[in-house]
Amino acid sequence: MTPAGMIELTIDGKTVQVPPGTTVFDAARMNGIAIPTLCHLQSQTPVGVCRLCVVDTGARVLGAACVRPVEPNMKVQTNSDKVQAARKTLLELLMSDHPSPCARQANSGDCELEVLAKEAGVGTPRFPRRNVSRGQDESSLAIAVDHDACILCDRCIRGCDEIKNNFVLGRMGKGYFAGIAFDLNAPMGDSTCISCGECMVSCPTGALTNKGVAGTAIALGTDAALTAEELHRLPVFAGVSGTFLELNRGAIVKRRFRKGDVICLEGDFGSTAFYILEGKAKVSISTPIAHVKTEGGALGLFKKLKSSLVGREQDRRAEETRDRIIPIDASVDLSYGNPVAELGPGSLFGEMTCLNFYPRSATVRAETDVVAFEMLRNVIDIMLKNKTFRAQIDQNYRRQALEDHLRGVPMFAELSPEFIAHLKESVELIRYAPGQVIARQGDAADSFFLVRIGFVKITEEYPGGELVLAYLSRGDYFGEIGPLGGGFRTATCTALDHVELVKIPGDDFRQMVKDFPNVRAGLEKMAAERRGANEQRLKMMEHVPLDQFLSQGLMEAQSLLILDLENCTRCDACVNACADAHDGVTRLVRDGLRFENYLVATSCRQCRDPLCMVGCPVGAIRRRNSLEVIIEDWCIGCGLCARNCPYGNINLHPFEVLAEDLENPGRKKAVVKQKATSCDLCTHLKEPSCVYACPHDAAHRVDPRKFFGQMLGQDTSR
Amino acid sequence: MIFDELRAIQLRLGYLPKAELEALSERTQTPLYQLHSVASFYPHFHLSPPAKAEIRLCDDMSCHLNGSCELRAELLRRFSGQPPEDVQLKDVSCLGRCDQAPAVAVNDEIHVHVNADKVEDLARQAMRGDHHLPEHPQETRLACASDPYGDGEKYGVLRRFVASKDWDGLLATLKEAELKGMGGAGFPTSMKWDLVRKQADPVRYIVCNADESEPGTIKDRFILSHLPHLVIEGMALAGLVTGSRRGILYIRHEYPLQEEIFGEELRRCAKAGLLGKRILGSDLDFDLEIFVSPGGYICGEESALIEAIEGHRAEPRNKPPFPGQMGLWQKPTVINNVETFANVPQILARGVEWFKTVGVSGSRGLKFVGVSGHVAHPGVFEIPMGTTMSEVIFGHAGGIRGGKKLKAFAPSGPSSGYLPASMVEVKLDFKALADAGSMLGSGAIVVCDDTTCMLDMALNAVKFYRNESCGKCVPCRMGSQKMVEILTRWAQSNIGESQFSADLKLVDDLSAAMSQTSICGLGQIVPAPIQSVLKHFRAEVEDHVLKGHCPSGICFSPSNRSAELPRVGIKP
Repeated sequence: MTPAGMIELTIDGKTVQVPPGTTVFDAARMNGIAIPTLCHLQSQTPVGVCRLCVVDTGARVLGAACVRPVEPNMKVQTNSDKVQAARKTLLELLMSDHPSPCARQANSGDCELEVLAKEAGVGTPRFPRRNVSRGQDESSLAIAVDHDACILCDRCIRGCDEIKNNFVLGRMGKGYFAGIAFDLNAPMGDSTCISCGECMVSCPTGALTNKGVAGTAIALGTDAALTAEELHRLPVFAGVSGTFLELNRGAIVKRRFRKGDVICLEGDFGSTAFYILEGKAKVSISTPIAHVKTEGGALGLFKKLKSSLVGREQDRRAEETRDRIIPIDASVDLSYGNPVAELGPGSLFGEMTCLNFYPRSATVRAETDVVAFEMLRNVIDIMLKNKTFRAQIDQNYRRQALEDHLRGVPMFAELSPEFIAHLKESVELIRYAPGQVIARQGDAADSFFLVRIGFVKITEEYPGGELVLAYLSRGDYFGEIGPLGGGFRTATCTALDHVELVKIPGDDFRQMVKDFPNVRAGLEKMAAERRGANEQRLKMMEHVPLDQFLSQGLMEAQSLLILDLENCTRCDACVNACADAHDGVTRLVRDGLRFENYLVATSCRQCRDPLCMVGCPVGAIRRRNSLEVIIEDWCIGCGLCARNCPYGNINLHPFEVLAEDLENPGRKKAVVKQKATSCDLCTHLKEPSCVYACPHDAAHRVDPRKFFGQMLGQDTSR
Repeated sequence: MIFDELRAIQLRLGYLPKAELEALSERTQTPLYQLHSVASFYPHFHLSPPAKAEIRLCDDMSCHLNGSCELRAELLRRFSGQPPEDVQLKDVSCLGRCDQAPAVAVNDEIHVHVNADKVEDLARQAMRGDHHLPEHPQETRLACASDPYGDGEKYGVLRRFVASKDWDGLLATLKEAELKGMGGAGFPTSMKWDLVRKQADPVRYIVCNADESEPGTIKDRFILSHLPHLVIEGMALAGLVTGSRRGILYIRHEYPLQEEIFGEELRRCAKAGLLGKRILGSDLDFDLEIFVSPGGYICGEESALIEAIEGHRAEPRNKPPFPGQMGLWQKPTVINNVETFANVPQILARGVEWFKTVGVSGSRGLKFVGVSGHVAHPGVFEIPMGTTMSEVIFGHAGGIRGGKKLKAFAPSGPSSGYLPASMVEVKLDFKALADAGSMLGSGAIVVCDDTTCMLDMALNAVKFYRNESCGKCVPCRMGSQKMVEILTRWAQSNIGESQFSADLKLVDDLSAAMSQTSICGLGQIVPAPIQSVLKHFRAEVEDHVLKGHCPSGICFSPSNRSAELPRVGIKP
């Protein structure tokens, strides 16, 4: 007798009773009969798309057990020869396009497809393989997407839309060309995805996998990594998949610092960011705020020449008309005169180091006992995609640093406090992923941008190529030429890494230049200078046919050091002289590009693509419009620019200075600090020391346009 | 409605720019992925700016038999080197002009009986920006034996039943007549209507499937042009019987003329009080509207069609539940083919006796069939059910064109597979064709003369399914592509005995998996064309794979016959 309200059926000869509405899949499962599946998860609404769970109910065709409700007296065969053969063919079909072993199989051996295929005895698939890759998407910091491993089971889609209600993922396209897509088929990292990880933990294959960060675990010390349960209790992680948090165990640690502890040290390389929960910390730059200056007696007295560290008070260089704000990797900036600030609960710092792997920009020390999260980039990505947390971070920025940033632009100095207050609320804070185009040359131009985090590459297209006009970093601005001039972007602006911008909308920008005539004048002057410099560079391109030389940036230089190889005996007197002139640190290497019998020795050549500009954590390297490299006083000596320069033209100059003793707060001790330097053409002397020192008259300082122009029989000196 | 919004943007700008979709998402609170998932699914929507002249070429069965490959090769030659923003050539699935092949669409306007000169001319006009109005033939309504009203007053059956309300009698008559669905599956109509009538939910819908998109199928186009009143009357009767107040005609977007004719008839009915509130002064309500499909053969599958009306991707549902239980908006829904609805007033006006005797050799009713391919007079013909195929091909359609011989015929497009000339005496009837290993289907007779390569035709049919697979389930999404690749291998190289026997096993395994595990009829029927060719034309296939020889001289030729262009609607 079937109990009232129950349905009786037989599965593989076994009589079972289940409530109405039960699926065949569940009826079998409840009675210990496992039916294989790929697209079905107990937590999700069944969709019946993989068809692996097909069973024979005696109907014309096999039915998918996961979506087939039971019927009274149904006779179900879950494992007949017919069913097994169909299942095996389906697995063979899927395996024929599967990149075996996929990322998941390679990592943990549990790609559900590969495991089932192996169990079913599927060998090398007999079907032709897919011949065009469906692509990979590495744009998300947390999750790697391999579309080739996607079997369109819809588990990620249901995870995103049905379970987490994030509504980011869907199917796209049709038939064999269907795939999964984020939003309007955006790269995952640029989409509205909040990195909750539900798609990834739902995926049966290696199509969506957790992106480990190199050296994933943070050194624990005495602190404990947070468990998934502890994380889940924090509002910022509330919507994130538990499995995903479990996978990232060790990527976030709750740190306790005692008063006086150093949390991070300027110039160090790192991969973590910090978020202060309790307590106060002091952020400062301990390297002297100064630049390298070389001075001394008359020529011939090299030994008496002296390089020293001087600040603006003693040696104000061109264009240093006012104190600048020192941009650092935190929600505050430091001032030139007093590079110290305080960070309190809710402060996030080290984002640049964490996201872009740049050296630490400043030293942070606990002022009181401090409790903070230290985390890797995948965790900070999850946090920053939480709307509430994001809003809080943005609000901090608006409150603390935005005014400094705006005032850091010299010509904005006269903005009224009221207008600044208005801008604080009206500006947009926008994030860009590496490689994303912010504005394209020729686009209609409306808004004006200030760089908050990361590096922006400004390029101009010219027939036959692309010229890098500048790399802009925190505190720099761009986009003024368009709205002030013809209304079109004159250059293409691209995010070089993880970039965050402050966007001043067109209306506010217009209001600003209307209300503050000096701002307008300043911006127009800057725009004209930039335009002029760009035009000049392009003009030079047109004149000089030698692309090779152009690519070395030689023609753009103000002055080149040329060694006549017919006369040169390779005695290295020039190199030694350079070292002598610069406190024993040479800025010249007797190697470089050869042109006929001349060697263009390496010394800064003002490249078209000045890679040295990229990555400075404190924005202390810049170029004048004349392209000469200037190292700002707040260089922390981390050496990144020197490593980035492909020609070895930036060197670090060590100095012994008295600095605060980090082990004994309040006391000072002698430490060695470094400052970056590049060839200064010995501007403190009448003639570069290398030229002067050459005993064979082989070293010359020349104007490249004149020099190459004569050699090429052209008059390029116009 | 999401499609209306998308269409409005496309009408304004020619395509769906990202910024517009973002604004639409914001305004309607629709997630971006939902907009993209449908916009990338339907061939009607462009996600990038179209060329000034977009030429869409049909290369499905009837066009394929009428020189579409040669046309494509010639057009590629003529437009080579043209910038893609000026002109683009694309493949498109069957445009429903099989009797006027080859057909192309230039910027969504369909042109028939084209040649390279004509298409080039049309494209150059479009590139210049001249708007070309297609020549709509002035179709006057033809008198059909199916029309019980002739020149007299129409809708007599509807009037009679509104007065009598004898719904049980109506269903009993249809049951006695044994009226079956004319869309392909042949399900008893009275049973379907009765099922809906008995559902607990008081809200029900009537849907007429006028999405015929299978190559060769053109009969519904004819019925909508010449007998729209019978379709409306049939739908209204279905509505009244089942207690539904709303009906929807789902029509493919390639039929604007039929949409217009049908719409005009609807307005006439509304004016005459035959539709709308209080029909003919009674307490009965029923209204009808037209839904234009955003495109794709899969929309003809009843549950996919319902998904499309609901604004989703047209992906068939798992069944049960059937539409009669849970259909449109999860309500009980009658969904029938155009011809089925048109049959209802015929039977009710003339009686079951007439229906039983109007067919020949014991078959019932009249049937509209489309005949295309290598016949002298392609077109739509109204024939008594049970007529032999030879009478249709040689009698009505004028026989094989150009003095050639009949080699094979598909009784109903690719789904029915190909039968050899030796079986031409088969009767057009549900049972007779099923016994012959084929099906009556939608009456899409495609005729091949003795110059046709049957392996080429099988490949052509399988490509159609591959192109039109929605991609929802694994067997159809992947199997249709793999089938194309295996058959392409057969048609292009001498693969040798051992590879061929391995391939035969592979095709059989794949056929079994597809026909047994696919969600809907599309995936289940993909193997039919090649299985029928292997059954009836095995020697011809063996000539290809074992001797590297195509008896018809079509395969192994410069690849123009197997060439493919980027497809309309395939947006990788």
